[in-house]
Amino acid sequence: MKLENEDVLDRFVICHQCYTLHEEIPIKDGSHACCTGCGGILYRYDTRLVDHGLALSMTGLVFFVLANAFPLVEIELLGVGQFLTIPKTIFSLFASGFYIVGIICAFLIFIFPLMIFLINTLLFTLLKFRVGTKLSKELLVLLAYITPWSMSDIFLVSILVSLVKLIGYAQIHMGVAFWALMVFVLIDLYLVKYIHLSEIWMLRKRIILKEAIK
Amino acid sequence: MIEVDENDLMRCPICGAVNIDKGNKNICRRCGSNIYKHRNFSTEKSWAYLITAIIMYIPANLYPILITNQFGQAEGSTILGGVVLLWEHGSYPIALVIFFASIMIPVLKFLILFYLLISVKYPLGNDKKVSKHKLYYMTEVIGPWSMIDVFVVAILAGLIHLSNISIVAGTAATAFAISVFFTLLAAHAFDERLIKEKL
Ligand SMILES: [Zn+2]
Ligand SMILES: [Zn+2]
Repeated sequence: MKLENEDVLDRFVICHQCYTLHEEIPIKDGSHACCTGCGGILYRYDTRLVDHGLALSMTGLVFFVLANAFPLVEIELLGVGQFLTIPKTIFSLFASGFYIVGIICAFLIFIFPLMIFLINTLLFTLLKFRVGTKLSKELLVLLAYITPWSMSDIFLVSILVSLVKLIGYAQIHMGVAFWALMVFVLIDLYLVKYIHLSEIWMLRKRIILKEAIK
Repeated sequence: MIEVDENDLMRCPICGAVNIDKGNKNICRRCGSNIYKHRNFSTEKSWAYLITAIIMYIPANLYPILITNQFGQAEGSTILGGVVLLWEHGSYPIALVIFFASIMIPVLKFLILFYLLISVKYPLGNDKKVSKHKLYYMTEVIGPWSMIDVFVVAILAGLIHLSNISIVAGTAATAFAISVFFTLLAAHAFDERLIKEKL
């Protein structure tokens, strides 16, 4: 095939699931295009992605703070009450000498999720005010490296698994942070896993082009 | 005007942009990442990570992952022992979740990565190249879920530490976490572009 220059390649998209090459076609606002090979989502078109992204990443941050500040669960075992928070989960690993697991857990369930939402907040703010194109590029690259290592969703499922293990041994009460974590995970699934990074790249390109025309 | 063969187009693993494969060293035109460093190095790094992961998986299964101290008596349980115990107690769903997360997923991931790494060097199953990309995608999606058991141990250890009953993590937790970490590294180090290489 013949191309005018390399920039024309932006009109093409390769499916991230099955590697089939597609040519992009304009689609309706709010809809998405699917892969003919595997049915996976190729790209979406959302004119209000900046506002949605900014609102979601800021809400996510609030819920992340709530999820860390309050107890996830409270149990009563042999008449003694115990509670668990996310920081406590990590610190108790350190306290019992499990430094490697402690560090891995700290990154997977605390540092990376927090970083992702901080980066997203900054990124969408930059895009909204159409500034810092160089920084937004670096943030997007950084996001791509961190995203696979954020495991809040898996941690949430792990809480449920541990609680089922405790049924019959202890009385269990869900804490405020559990529900906050659940909301956080839902936002995380939408913002980080559902919206592809390439959509934000395309958005960035549109914004740069618009600025250039001005 | 540039003349390009469709087979020379590749996807940047970092930003998803379509790029033209120009040989040994490619730099993504959109995000500036290195896409494909060197023909020989890409698999070697992946192999090293994968072998480390498999080696760490052995102590992860031999040593206890969870130690329960009950009224002065310490009792350790291995991953498989824990699954069997849960099954005997009738907690079938949880036994299955742990079995899938800690045994099925890691072993499947080892096998898939093994197969993919071998198939890069030797013509193996090249007629079904699409399924290879799907296999790779699958390992990326299901891989992290093997951390469930480590998280469960961390949660139980953080929650239960009375003077009479306490739960602490066992050696296997460290080995298992390292194993998962290296499997994920192996998968990320594996250049998706290599699947197409031998066509
Ligand atoms: Zn596809
Ligand atoms: Zn790129």
